[in-house]
Amino acid sequence: MITVNPQVVFTIFGIGVRDTVVTTWIMMAFLMGVAALIRKRRPVLLEILFDFLNDLISEILGRSAGHVLPFIGSLAIFIFFANIIGLVPGLTTPTSDINTPIGLALVVFFSVHIFGVLEKGFVEYFKELVTPIYLFPFELIAQFTRTISLSVRLFGNMLSSEFLVAVIFSILPFVVPLPLIGLHIFDGVLQAYIFTALSTVYIAGAVLANTPSESVKQKSGEKNIPAKKVERK
Amino acid sequence: MDSPTIVTIVTIIASVAGIAIGVIAPAIMEGLSVIKALEGMARQPEAARDLRTTLLISLAILESLAIYVLLVVLVLLFANPLITRFFKV
Repeated sequence: MITVNPQVVFTIFGIGVRDTVVTTWIMMAFLMGVAALIRKRRPVLLEILFDFLNDLISEILGRSAGHVLPFIGSLAIFIFFANIIGLVPGLTTPTSDINTPIGLALVVFFSVHIFGVLEKGFVEYFKELVTPIYLFPFELIAQFTRTISLSVRLFGNMLSSEFLVAVIFSILPFVVPLPLIGLHIFDGVLQAYIFTALSTVYIAGAVLANTPSESVKQKSGEKNIPAKKVERK
Repeated sequence: MDSPTIVTIVTIIASVAGIAIGVIAPAIMEGLSVIKALEGMARQPEAARDLRTTLLISLAILESLAIYVLLVVLVLLFANPLITRFFKV
């Protein structure tokens, strides 16, 4: 059954609780249980995961991840499992409902400014935000469009790959949908990586110092490095 | 034919035409960016890691244009505001 609107499972105080929210709760309980179990039995596995996320984030951020790591790392793990968990029968993908990606993108939107204020101080951060005053309207537009595009990208990708599986399943329900389910898994991993990378880029834009003198120095330094000559035949 | 039927038919034609035309430009641009990134990786294999990260991020940004078209088409197909606004169904 193909529906865009998620189904309301039950209501609490007149607020409908949807199946995607119930799936998110099940997923959170599962993740916390698995994390507690691994921490007790095999702590090395958690270290491998930590190293992987640390390398990923610090490579994009351009310096050591520091206190950005807990936020971005948990975001990456959450989105990865939220994209994958729809393959379990009976559960729906939480990210194929527009509300979940919008919530995640709003969290990223506020955390960008919070990390910027924590890094530079309140006055300094907002002074840097409005420094070329004629560019401030575009900066304001960019802040909102990046939040919208971040949420719509995750939603659209997950919904379209799920639709693809559902449509092919309604035509030929035997063996043929299997490669498309593989595509769905691949798309989920890729979208989790892209969401993580983009929010890291946004946080890097807020956290890292971008004074004009430094950037000019960097550009002139880059020009001094001789480019490798490639011979063409 | 009554008016809601005409609106529905026009909506379906517009959705199919919109997704078909709207995907062309992002596809061309993504192909061009992949070509350039592959050329850069072949010339300087030591810069492949940076190029790959930048390529994936820029592909995601280009991809969002096609996703916008998909979103508009989905709204038109599943939650069309025009039918319920102008006609009592």
